[in-house]
This record gives sequence, structure tokens and C-alpha cells, in this order.
Amino acid sequence: MASAPAQADFKTRLQNLIPKLVLAPSLAVIFLFVYGFIIFTGYLSFTDSRILPSFNLVGFENYSKLFRLSHWTTSITNLAIFASLYIGISTLIGLSLATFLDQKIRGEGLLRPIYLYPMALSFIVTGTAWKWLLDPGIGLEHTMHLWGWTSFHFDWIKNSDYAIYTVVIAAVWQSSGFVMAMFLAGLRGIDNEILKAAQMDGAGNWQMYRRIILPQLRPAFLSAFVILSHLAVKSYDLVIALTGGGPGRATELPATFMYSYTFTRNQMGIGASSAVIMLMTIAAIMVPYLYAELREKK
Amino acid sequence: MARAVTTNRKITMTVIAWSIGFLIFFPILWTVLTSFKSEAEAIASPPSFVFFDWTIENYGIVMERSNYFRFFMNSVVISVGSTLIGLIIAVPAAWSMAFVPGKGTKNILMWMLSTKMLPPVGVLIPIYLIFKNVGLLDTRTGLVIVLTLINLPIIIWMLYTYFKEIPVDILEAARMDGASLRNEIIYVLTPMAVPGIASTMLLNIILAWNEAFWTLNLTAANAAPLTAFIASYSSPEGLFYAKLSAASTMAIAPILIMGWFSQKQLVRGLTFGAVK
Repeated sequence: MASAPAQADFKTRLQNLIPKLVLAPSLAVIFLFVYGFIIFTGYLSFTDSRILPSFNLVGFENYSKLFRLSHWTTSITNLAIFASLYIGISTLIGLSLATFLDQKIRGEGLLRPIYLYPMALSFIVTGTAWKWLLDPGIGLEHTMHLWGWTSFHFDWIKNSDYAIYTVVIAAVWQSSGFVMAMFLAGLRGIDNEILKAAQMDGAGNWQMYRRIILPQLRPAFLSAFVILSHLAVKSYDLVIALTGGGPGRATELPATFMYSYTFTRNQMGIGASSAVIMLMTIAAIMVPYLYAELREKK
Repeated sequence: MARAVTTNRKITMTVIAWSIGFLIFFPILWTVLTSFKSEAEAIASPPSFVFFDWTIENYGIVMERSNYFRFFMNSVVISVGSTLIGLIIAVPAAWSMAFVPGKGTKNILMWMLSTKMLPPVGVLIPIYLIFKNVGLLDTRTGLVIVLTLINLPIIIWMLYTYFKEIPVDILEAARMDGASLRNEIIYVLTPMAVPGIASTMLLNIILAWNEAFWTLNLTAANAAPLTAFIASYSSPEGLFYAKLSAASTMAIAPILIMGWFSQKQLVRGLTFGAVK
């Protein structure tokens, strides 16, 4: 390097400093705009903010109001129904599709992108497409009638008891291929030798599947669960496009509740408290997972 | 894993797998096909699958009636703009964490990544209030800023996982040969980092293109991108099946094309790097 030691010293010190300097803007931006804003939202949830933010603290009043609202209870009940069915069915279909594809079937290279296609679309597109498909007047029911099956009846999207299941259908359609990709990667990672050894020892197909393959897929199950559950809690655009929260409030979810209370009904304090509840739900799922994941890797 | 399977079973499996594939793809295929039919043919009984008179008149009508190109340009500006700004901020950060890791790097990454999983409603109120005060509501600039912020963690994380795949030995060899930090970055690192950066860029453009929570809530007429265009068509106008299909085909066409080339990146991005 340079002949003058002082200059060299300065240069090394600068070089040592650069990594920290270039990291700083990202850190500042992310922590200020996400965690800083979350703290602000948290603060608002303890105030009597309505159409405009107010800094007048009212303790837990918003939270106790929130849980007395039938609108909110409907939202979280819907989320519970939606999330459990969405996660369960997507996992089941994804695992089955991965098992099919893993049989070295013909045309896998073309089939895999087809399974994955819905995932590349926006939830808005998925919601709109399924809105038409499920609409009794123009979609599936109408088509079946045209084809001569006049007794065919499918109007879940207009029925407040069943509308939430149409959200599940659309969401599962979007995500199954993506879950499949996660399981396929897991299946391809299983050592062939173990399977061969098990087969030689006389293990049947089902036994092999249950005793060897499924346990080895544990990491894939875990990531699928975490990813699907955070998508479920965040669900907003799908419901907006598919049902708009209706009929009535039948498909209202916490995210749509939050939006309508904050901006349409001008109850910012209650909206903020619902956002805090959602944040805590996700944190409860996510923090342990990320923690374990990062510890495992190194 | 490959197991010995009988030919019969294999054929059954193939047939089932392809039927499911067709079922999954059907809604997209049907929409695209219907968009090329005349209105009469779109509701014909029994429906024709591909043997009909192909027409593009629906596209003309939709173009005339809606301002498709404005929505399209908004989508392009917002997704490309936020991705490029994001990359400029993220590349140095990811480089620093991947090649000069400190004691806290793992924790920093965890906290950064966690922000991508949090529901956006958690920061909606402050962002909305700030935007209202400085006049950024319903502007492209505003959306570029929000989407840069929202996607920055995933950009950094993806770049980090790509950079981690670059063998450190080569960097050490360059250092041994007396390459300065500048030369190391320009001649050794950059050529190996380009594929990872390109993949991250593609992934992020699609994520930004598909983003609907922020685009729906922060735009009205001026800055609305294609996601809002689709949402505006979601109330079926009478029974204009074919025109509806043409509008939605135009809305998803860019994604249909990009989606085909970017599935690997999407899976990797949406699983936060768990599936490579």
C-alpha cells in the first residue's frame, strides 16, 4: 500500500468503517419507518383519536371497546375459520402435489410452472377472477345451467353463512402451488440411500411415507405454517376484491375492519388498537420461528 | 427421491397430476380465451373452447373506455422506481452484512426480515397522516417511497442470501494479491453479484407490481396502478363477459409474462430464502 504510514493508517480505518457506514441508512430507514411507526400506532391506540390523531390518553378504553364490538368479534372469528382452513387445505394439497411431482412423472418441467402460476398473480386478480367464477349469475352456476344441468346450485358467495369459504377457495387456489414448491424442495432433499435401505428391510410404501418421509419434512411443514399464517393475518386485498367484506359483514377480516374503523368510521383509536392486536398475533408466530431459523443456520 | 414405481401407477399419477394442473390453470386460460370471443359467442351454449372466430374488438373497446395506459404506466413507474431506489440503498447494506459481518449481523437481519412479515395496517395510520400533511397522497412519488420502504427488508435479505453464495476464497485471493477494496468490489465482486442482483430486481418488481394494500389505500385517480384498474372492473357491468375478460387479461398480461420467467425468484422470495 502507500508508503506513508499515516496515510495507510487512515485508509485502513476508512476501509473498516465503510461496511458500517453503508449499512446505516438501511437500518435507520427500516427501524424508523417500521418500528418507529408501530410505536406511534401503539401510542394512538391508547388515545381518544377519532378523525384526527389526538394525544389525549385514555388507557385501555379502546381495547375494551374493541372487544365489545360485534363487528370485531365477527372479524376475528372469520380470521380463525379462514386461517385454519386456508393453512390446512393448502398444506394438504401442496403436499399431495409435491408427492405426485416427485414420482418423476412426464412433463414435470412444464407442470411445475403451471402449479406455481397463480402465485405470481396479485391477490386482487385472484379475488376478481373468482368473484366472477363464483357469481351465480355469470359464473360456474350460470355455465352449468347453459350446459343443461339446471338443478346445479352454487351461490356461496351470496350466502352470508358460506361466503367466508369462498375466500378460502380463492386463497387456496393461489397458494397451493407455492406450498407444493416448498414440499418438493424438502422431498428432493431426502437421502435416497435411507429410502433404499428401508425398502430392503421390507418397509411398505405407507410405512416408509409415515416413518421416514413425513418426519424428514418437518422443516418444510414449519416454514409452510409460518408463511401461510402470516399471509392469512395480513389478508386484505383478496377479501376486498372477492367480496368486499360482505355480504353484510360475513367476510370481514381484521385488516378490513381496521381500515373501515380508521378511515370510514373515523375511529382512529379503535382502528389503531385493532392493528396492535394483529401485530401481536403475528409476532407470536414469527419471532420464535425466526429465532430458531437463524440459530440453526450458523 | 426416486422410488421404483410400477408403470401403471406412474401413468395414473401422471394423469392425475396433469388434470390438477389443468384445473389450476383453467380460470386463467378461460379468461384469456373468452377475451377473444364476441359477446354472443362468450355466452353461447354449449361454449366453444378454441374453435370460434377470434376477434380483438373487445380490446379496442376496453382501451377506448378506460385509460388503460395511464394505469399501466403508473404500475411501471411505481414498481421499477421503487425497485431501483431500493437496490441502491440495499446493495451496500447487503454487501456489508455478507462480507464484513459483525457480532450483531444475525440479529439485525432477523429484525429487518421480521418487518416484512408484519401486517401493513400497523404502519398505515402514521404513513397516511404524513402523506396527507405533505401532499403525497395519490402521487406516484408517494407510492414509490412507500413501496421502497415496505420492500427494502426483503431486497436486503434476498441480496444477502445471494451474496452469501459467492465463495469467500476468491475474495481472499484477490486481497492477497494486494487488491484494494475498490478494485476488489469492481473486478471481483460485481461480476459474481450481478445474477443475484438481477434476480432480486425481478422478484421485487413483481412484488411491487402486485402490491395492492398500499396502492388501493393511498391512491385515488391520478397514481392508481393496474391493481386498482382491476379492482375498478370487479363489479361486472351487466353481462359483458368478453369485455370483462379482455380488461382482466390486459391487467394481468404483464404479470403472466413476467411470472413465467420469475417463478424461481418468487418462491425463493416468498419463502424468505428457505427454498432456493
